[in-house]
Amino acid sequence: MSSFVPARAETLEDQRLYTEARLVDVACLDCLATVRVKKNSDHQTSLQWSTEARANCQEFARQDPGTGRRDVHKPCSRMMASIDDAVRAGDVPIGALDGY
Amino acid sequence: MSDTRLLDQGIAPLRFARGWHCLGLATDFGDGKPHAIEGFGTKLVVWQDSQGELNVLDGYCRHMGGDLTQGEVKGDQIACPFHDWRWGGDGKCKQIPYARRVPLRARTQRYETAVRNGQLLIWNDPEGSAADHDLLPPELPDVMTEKYTPWSWHVRQINGSHCRELIDNVADMAHFYYVHFAFPTSFRNVFDGNTATQFMESKGRPDMSGGYGDEDSMLKSVATYYGPSYMINWLEVDYKGFVTEVILINCHIPTGPESFTLQYGISVRKPEGLDEKTVNYIAEKYTESFGDGFLQDVAIWENKVAVQNPLLCEEDGPVYQLRRWYEQFYVDVADVKPEMVDRFEFEVDTTKANEYWHAEVAENLAKMAAETAETPADA
Repeated sequence: MSSFVPARAETLEDQRLYTEARLVDVACLDCLATVRVKKNSDHQTSLQWSTEARANCQEFARQDPGTGRRDVHKPCSRMMASIDDAVRAGDVPIGALDGY
Repeated sequence: MSDTRLLDQGIAPLRFARGWHCLGLATDFGDGKPHAIEGFGTKLVVWQDSQGELNVLDGYCRHMGGDLTQGEVKGDQIACPFHDWRWGGDGKCKQIPYARRVPLRARTQRYETAVRNGQLLIWNDPEGSAADHDLLPPELPDVMTEKYTPWSWHVRQINGSHCRELIDNVADMAHFYYVHFAFPTSFRNVFDGNTATQFMESKGRPDMSGGYGDEDSMLKSVATYYGPSYMINWLEVDYKGFVTEVILINCHIPTGPESFTLQYGISVRKPEGLDEKTVNYIAEKYTESFGDGFLQDVAIWENKVAVQNPLLCEEDGPVYQLRRWYEQFYVDVADVKPEMVDRFEFEVDTTKANEYWHAEVAENLAKMAAETAETPADA
């Protein structure tokens, strides 16, 4: 069953541009997780996990799944370090294309 | 012109979100009387039975459509004011005082309930599934004890907007400057499973007052939606070096395709070493300022149009990914796609935006100073 339905075909292309375009694979240096990354600037980062990558991440697996804590959404430090590494190596291009 | 950008207002869904929805403070329903709550395109009746359990049914009697919210609680049941049909919390008609027997098909829509953090929540699912208690928002430690002020609870009806407008705020960095009068200095989102979180640090604008505006006020905020409608916002407010912990609950019930009831509650961790009167004063001040914050949003929502194809710039947050996450609550469970629930993280670059904003505020302050200087002191 459909939910929020675009009234224009072009909207589907917008959805693709903003959620999928220019994502680059980055593999974790410590485990089997591979995520997709985009950087519109030095400080901006989009990080898309897959179900498989999430399951492979050792740091998330060790995190206490207890609820009510404020830090349950902290990033994986190893993955962040791996992304920094990939950026330094020039594997993740930095800069935006017309806002996406 | 063919390259003119068109607004796609899209078509809003006909269904209401699957998940837990908060109806208000549990104690407000505990007086043995029926209570009416607009929700999910109908009116709900809420009452407490003799065991202290809260019950929620569709508010209209399946006999002749009488309004149960205007009825009476008799024993553990709600009695219709029209013909005295008695409905139990399990949704079954228990008794028709003037009839030989109750029809077997006398079952009405019931909503499963849970009480969390002193609030009554109900499970809504257009597919009719059993309530998933694993998806309830967490219990907040120490809230509802003497360490925190009691919930200050507020309700506001919003017309002319789909409740997704409220959700969009999770990813909206720049509106904190324009609508809430604060500089967001750090802004990050994480969407994961049924939760969507916003991390923000901000500082009040010195050229504005009201809302979050106030140059002496710094905010550290972690705000998480647990499901489609219940957000816990942990706030650390630093006012001139005096840090207060505030918990803000922001929740809503959709009432129609273009209307919802916004509810928010505030509880403040009582600062140690202060007397009761001062603590209450501080709590009231924060309730007022966050309440003002919501009203600033409401003014925008009530006048804007829906946009299915927002046009974004590099400084904007991940609106499309947030909406992709939100969509999981509007499709059948079997149709939830991995990308709706897969973890997604987004760090907004606030550097450039803050450069421009600080320049603008400096200009505003200079203008204000010049105006003050022009006005004769004795005027």
